Amino acid sequence: MPSPGKWKVVALAALAVIVLVLPLLVTNSFAIDIFIRILLFSFIGVAWNLMGGYAKQLSLGHAAYFGLGAYTSTILQVDFGISPWIGMVAGGLVAMLASLPIGWLCFRLRGPYFTIATIATAQALMLIFLKFRDLAWGAEGTTIPNLGNAPLMMQFEAKAAYYYVALGLLVLGLVITYLIENSWMGYYLVAIGEDEDAAEAIGVNAPRIKRNIYLISAFLTALAGTFYTQYIYFIDPATAFNFNISIEAALVAIVGGIGTLWGPVIGTVLLETTSALLQSWLGSSIGGVQLTVYSLILIAVILWRPTGLIGVITDAWRHYFPRSLLRA
Amino acid sequence: MLETVVQAVINGLLIGGIYALVSIGVTLIFGVVKIVNFAQGEFVMIGMYISFFLATQFGIDPIASLFVTMPVLFVIGVLVQHFLIRRVLGPNDMPQIFLTFALSLLLLNLALMLFTANYRTVHTSYSDAAIHVSGLYIPVAKLIAFVVAMVLSGLLWVFLHTTDLGKAMRAAAQNRDVATLMGINPNRVFCVALGIALALAGAAGSLLMPFYSAYPFVGQVFVLMAFVAVVLGTLGNVVGALIASLMMGIAESLGIQYVGADSGQIVVFAMLLLTLAFKPNGLGGGRVR
Repeated sequence: MPSPGKWKVVALAALAVIVLVLPLLVTNSFAIDIFIRILLFSFIGVAWNLMGGYAKQLSLGHAAYFGLGAYTSTILQVDFGISPWIGMVAGGLVAMLASLPIGWLCFRLRGPYFTIATIATAQALMLIFLKFRDLAWGAEGTTIPNLGNAPLMMQFEAKAAYYYVALGLLVLGLVITYLIENSWMGYYLVAIGEDEDAAEAIGVNAPRIKRNIYLISAFLTALAGTFYTQYIYFIDPATAFNFNISIEAALVAIVGGIGTLWGPVIGTVLLETTSALLQSWLGSSIGGVQLTVYSLILIAVILWRPTGLIGVITDAWRHYFPRSLLRA
Repeated sequence: MLETVVQAVINGLLIGGIYALVSIGVTLIFGVVKIVNFAQGEFVMIGMYISFFLATQFGIDPIASLFVTMPVLFVIGVLVQHFLIRRVLGPNDMPQIFLTFALSLLLLNLALMLFTANYRTVHTSYSDAAIHVSGLYIPVAKLIAFVVAMVLSGLLWVFLHTTDLGKAMRAAAQNRDVATLMGINPNRVFCVALGIALALAGAAGSLLMPFYSAYPFVGQVFVLMAFVAVVLGTLGNVVGALIASLMMGIAESLGIQYVGADSGQIVVFAMLLLTLAFKPNGLGGGRVR
């Protein structure tokens, strides 16, 4: 029997093969659309999880960085003809810059008031883009000029291409999380998440660690914003700074398993699949169905399984394989 | 010139009374149970819909329906504490924040499913009435709402300072462990705190109905205002929240008068961010006074 470590490699390789060939097997555009949403929101959840999961800084304002990424690349593309691939990185840098003053404000607070402060800063940014028309098209927003098949401008004829871009982002997020999780920074983050005062008492520079992880989290979230705008060919403040993005970023991580590498991915698969099934059963005519179901799932997870679905899965695994293959 | 300023201040003060009912609820729950109730606005929304249906189905005046919304929401508050919040009280932030947040999402989206996003209004005989005093214009519906809100706040203050249960609540807010040692049952006190806070939110809903529309997202307007007022007035401080709410109402009204009709929200956010930037110290320990 192979060792547990080998099992993990085999499982990962199998997963990689399935994920890579999926768009070749499934050509239904509704299905691909759902896959892309799953990849994208997994990625946003992974970005959120770095700060919200490991360091337990429970932000509900990540739409701020999603929106800044989206607007930066779109302004660069529409007004200056610069490729969104460059715009994407630029958007990430703008988001990092913005996270410094926002973090300075919000990190003064702890617990629920930190959360409220993050909501307020994201909403304030949305208002700025709504009110200042000179900045970027005001409330009407703008459509992205359609150039046909232009891979250098992040525009593709085939939906599968968007799938692979989103997949690339998710892999990037997971690799960064894996590296951080296994570094000194990962341990500091968990220490801060467990008890910030105790962490500081043993010499962890909590403000600096929190600032740094916020920079990374903001950068990654902004990449998602650029991708999403390119994918839907449209931007306005209500879409780019949508509060639902902040909510879903946190939700997928919490439902899947807060502060774990795969938690956000598992959470997104569950939530997005549920939402897609609901949509095909009920149609999208009834507003509020999706978030009603999401909130019920969230309440159930909080009351019965605060470690998330990943906790359920590992428990089941231990039950059926008592000599824990997961020990490695 | 002076008249428009005074008029704006009056408008702000009157609506500030409603903000006060919501903020006092938030600060009471924070002071006693040590959690932030993200769903407080949705309970205002529920109060509005109850008043709306009582008015349209049974012809009950929205303000009279206070006698229905307050007890109903009190009971809901006790149930929410006993069956939900009690289970997440502990050292961990995540369940506390996301439980009430999920409750807010749930109630809001249920309302969207059941009642659609349409605006519901109740037209009463006094909805358009106003008192004119030396060039000033005082809408009757808002004046009634303000007066009732102040009376309810006063009653709460008397309750907290003169009754055994009220004193027990203040004791639990100051030091839960010692209060428990003195024989105070914390869950019972928390249930009453949630009940009172939600009853105040329900009252706000009923009082709003003669001059404000009910719709699923309506609570968000009030809860944001309440969060700012609660921070400004020092967390957990009932009198502080009351005064801060009235100030917020006035600031918002002046903003609308002098900056633009749709600037109300901007003023709220600006005040929240300024408070966080320059006066975060008041955020530390507060207690129910």
